[in-house]
Amino acid sequence: MSKKKNVSKKTDNTTRNIAIGMILFVVLIGVGFSVLSNKTNSKVSIPSTVSAADGYGIVLNKDAKVKVDLWEDFQCPNCRNFEAVAGGYINDLVRAGKIRVAFHPMTFIGPESILAAAAAACTVDSGKFLEMHMALYENQPAKENSGTWTNAALKVIAATAGDASSATQSCIDSGKYVNWTKNIEADAATKNVNSTPTMFINGKQLDQTHYLNLAALKADFAALGVK
Amino acid sequence: MNKFMKVQPWASLLARLVLGVVLLLAGYLKAQSPSKAQMAVRAYRLLPVSIANLFGLVLPWLEIGAGILLIVGIAVRYSSLFGGALMLLFVGAISQAWARGLSIDCGCFGGGGEVAAGHTKYLQEILRDLGLTATAIFLYLYPHGKFGIDKAKLEGAHLE
Repeated sequence: MSKKKNVSKKTDNTTRNIAIGMILFVVLIGVGFSVLSNKTNSKVSIPSTVSAADGYGIVLNKDAKVKVDLWEDFQCPNCRNFEAVAGGYINDLVRAGKIRVAFHPMTFIGPESILAAAAAACTVDSGKFLEMHMALYENQPAKENSGTWTNAALKVIAATAGDASSATQSCIDSGKYVNWTKNIEADAATKNVNSTPTMFINGKQLDQTHYLNLAALKADFAALGVK
Repeated sequence: MNKFMKVQPWASLLARLVLGVVLLLAGYLKAQSPSKAQMAVRAYRLLPVSIANLFGLVLPWLEIGAGILLIVGIAVRYSSLFGGALMLLFVGAISQAWARGLSIDCGCFGGGGEVAAGHTKYLQEILRDLGLTATAIFLYLYPHGKFGIDKAKLEGAHLE
């Protein structure tokens, strides 16, 4: 009787230990995978105006004195609102060469943000990034990750933005810059970017109330001599 | 008391499933989008950025582990202690965010980060986590329930 009890106790312990071991294994593998996949990887393909020094952002007007960093997600509704209010003004400043902008398209909203950011990066080398940036917000789907933004749809958006070049189209198809988007995420994490849009002007975060207030935003730039 | 003894194993099973499924789901949803989980932790503005980022990567998997342990009923005392401590930690973190006037989503089930002022749900989040803390305390006191792997051990060794 007592022997039988010991046997069953031993079996139970074995089951229990095996289960604990398996769960521990899953946890450790999971942590390892998460940590490794959330590091910047210097080996991925990046567009020509992107460098690690700028947090892998897409830089326009690299020699202008006033430096703007903009973190956004092409699927984020607040980013679309910001673009609607301030996008035209910022684009004018960029086209006039008055500010240096590093665009950091984040992708935390999901898979279609990754496709959109990668497609936008494809238009950098043909000089159509600003147009593509605008066109993406104009065509932002009402619902996140609803299946609207496929590579085929993004190619059409690029074409309407004036970039129907075969280089851009094949870049989008091949997902050339998909892995670059991970670097943007990993870098933004180190810079304490906790929402989108987040804008830094000369390294200083824009006042929360100025995003949707064009007059206040213009005053911020004017204070730095940008008119 | 006799009645309680009849009900208790079922109550413990229910408590295990509630706490376990919540932890497993919360961990799973966060692990799907690690950069968002990191953002959620940073938005509490409690930890230095690098530690917050590490915490955001590790926490979901700890929740998944503890959730599975609770659901299958292994080391229920320890995992309920862990789950309860985690819930109290969340209650503290959410309370301080509320008190400091931050506008964040708790990021409990994925999501998270800063939200527009007026879109916070601090009270609901705190009440939910207090409920789960109570569940964890019950499990700590009465870890042995129905269909748990731990339970079979009860005959042989009364205490773990």
